[in-house]
Amino acid sequence: MADRFTTITSQFTGSGLGRDSLIFWVLVGGLALLGGLLGDSYVRHIFILVFIWCIVISSWDLILGYAGIFNYAQLVFFAFGAYGSAMLSIHAGLTPLLAIGAAALVGAVIGVLVAVPSLRLKGEYVALFTFAVHLALPPLIQQGKAIGMGGNTGLLGIPWLNLFGFQVSSIDKLTWYWVTLAFGAVCVYLIYFVILRGRMGLAFIAMRDAETFSQAIGVNEYKYKLLAFVVSAVFTAVAGGIYAHYTSVVTPKVLGTEFFLMAMVMLAIGGMGRFPGAIAGVFIVVIGNELLRSFDDYRLLLLGVAVVLTVIFFPEGVAGAFKPGPAKEPAQDR
Amino acid sequence: MTQIIEILLSGITQGAVYCAVAVGLSLVYGASRILNFAHGSLYSLGGFLAWFLVVGHLNLPLWLAVLIAIPILAVAGIGIERLIIRPLRGSANWKINTIMVTLGLAFIIENGLQLVFGPGTKTIPAFTEGVLEIGGITLSWYRIWIFAISLGLVAALEYFLSATRYGQAVRAVSQDMQGANQVGVNVNQVFSLTFALSVVLTGIAGILLAPVFLISPLGGWAPFLKAFVIVVLGGLGSTKGAFVAAFILAILEAFVIFYIGPSWAMPAWLVMLIAVLMIRPKGLFGVWEN
Repeated sequence: MADRFTTITSQFTGSGLGRDSLIFWVLVGGLALLGGLLGDSYVRHIFILVFIWCIVISSWDLILGYAGIFNYAQLVFFAFGAYGSAMLSIHAGLTPLLAIGAAALVGAVIGVLVAVPSLRLKGEYVALFTFAVHLALPPLIQQGKAIGMGGNTGLLGIPWLNLFGFQVSSIDKLTWYWVTLAFGAVCVYLIYFVILRGRMGLAFIAMRDAETFSQAIGVNEYKYKLLAFVVSAVFTAVAGGIYAHYTSVVTPKVLGTEFFLMAMVMLAIGGMGRFPGAIAGVFIVVIGNELLRSFDDYRLLLLGVAVVLTVIFFPEGVAGAFKPGPAKEPAQDR
Repeated sequence: MTQIIEILLSGITQGAVYCAVAVGLSLVYGASRILNFAHGSLYSLGGFLAWFLVVGHLNLPLWLAVLIAIPILAVAGIGIERLIIRPLRGSANWKINTIMVTLGLAFIIENGLQLVFGPGTKTIPAFTEGVLEIGGITLSWYRIWIFAISLGLVAALEYFLSATRYGQAVRAVSQDMQGANQVGVNVNQVFSLTFALSVVLTGIAGILLAPVFLISPLGGWAPFLKAFVIVVLGGLGSTKGAFVAAFILAILEAFVIFYIGPSWAMPAWLVMLIAVLMIRPKGLFGVWEN
């Protein structure tokens, strides 16, 4: 893959891929060791959440930050992944690893279903449509009680992860730490190093920065925007599946205000479309959110304030600190 | 037959209130190309403001509460535009940033209301009782009143936009911001004005519907989604389109609620949204922005 792009010197191509990958995997290895050293299962639990969120946020960053599609249905993909995996393992008796794989397929289908109407729309119409899907889903899930979606109380007793005969209970935080780290690292690597540095990523950035021009040089807009939805949905659905088997409960709460706000704060603080930014945002927000637990009544309010303040005062988020220089986005386009 | 007329009438009265919410959303988008995701939570804010003045603490009559609420809502609208929208205008990525900021604001208002008033639902007693009966068709007087008030508001807005100097400035900015700026229209003032009007409209709608639907901190998303579907069908930025679409969709909603059940109302709105987007994505009266 790297060879094909050696003639193009852009930060998004293969140049420096080996070095950056090495740094990435060394950091992942460091985190894996850290998991063994951390004795406290509560701290491990927080890191497990961080790793799951990393998958969701990097997929959202892919579609929102890199492809420039205003998709706000990210948690819809997450919910379908979680429900799909849970229902397949409860009702169809699929082993959880297979169910997570099937959740990826469910994600792909949902990605296409959300993408097809969205692709007929532009700009903020997409934002509103996708957000409307998000808002309309909880009542649909309640209606779905008849087909085994559990209604308001959600699905309980989702089977534990079965790693080749070894049952991983939710209490076994250390194994879960490594499992989620492995899933998270592979997904993040695939998204940022393979997909976004490859042809697809270049097409996304071209469409985002210069829509008409990219079409003129032959980027198939429909195909790549559809791909952006599908890829993003597949990874997010996998994260949803892992989450379902980790917590062993899925309720319509995954589409509630708290999850959505958390995801928004992560992207706002991390910064969109600049690689380590969104991931840094996940670490900051999940850990910060746990530190704010003692202010539980005010926590959601503070998260909302955090979104507004960071967007106004630090529109590039943490990512602004990683890659100084002029912003890649075109000036005001109205 | 009378049943169908009753459903039709309930849809029409409902449609007038939706129209007030949707026109506010459309007005701001038309002038400043900003989609205010906090529109629904401002609807709840209006309801809670009136509840506070009428039921909760001060026991004022409703008309006085509305008179007090209007300047508060207008100032809130101007404040939102000044403090969180204006700093972003003209920056790179202003579109995505304003979406983020208004969504964040929606959650701030929502959770703020929940902290102040508690998570439960509240209601304001209707200011008029009784029903009107003509030939077997019954319609509550309250519904007739909110129909008349909402229509009056929307008509006043239309008059303002078409006949007054400030209204013409708003229309000039909607059509061509730069051109308007060059001929001396104070664009920032127009943005503040549209925000103030929009918040007042949605807030009053929140007050009017408080006796029909209950008010709750998270209750703003349903009217927001409905207003959005209306605005999309009418065409983003077109107040006339929103007017027509509000009645079409409210009547459809009334039939869905009667024949299929109230829990299907929201899914039905989503289906209508998808249908509209698939058939005519730019809406009845809309044009694509470039």
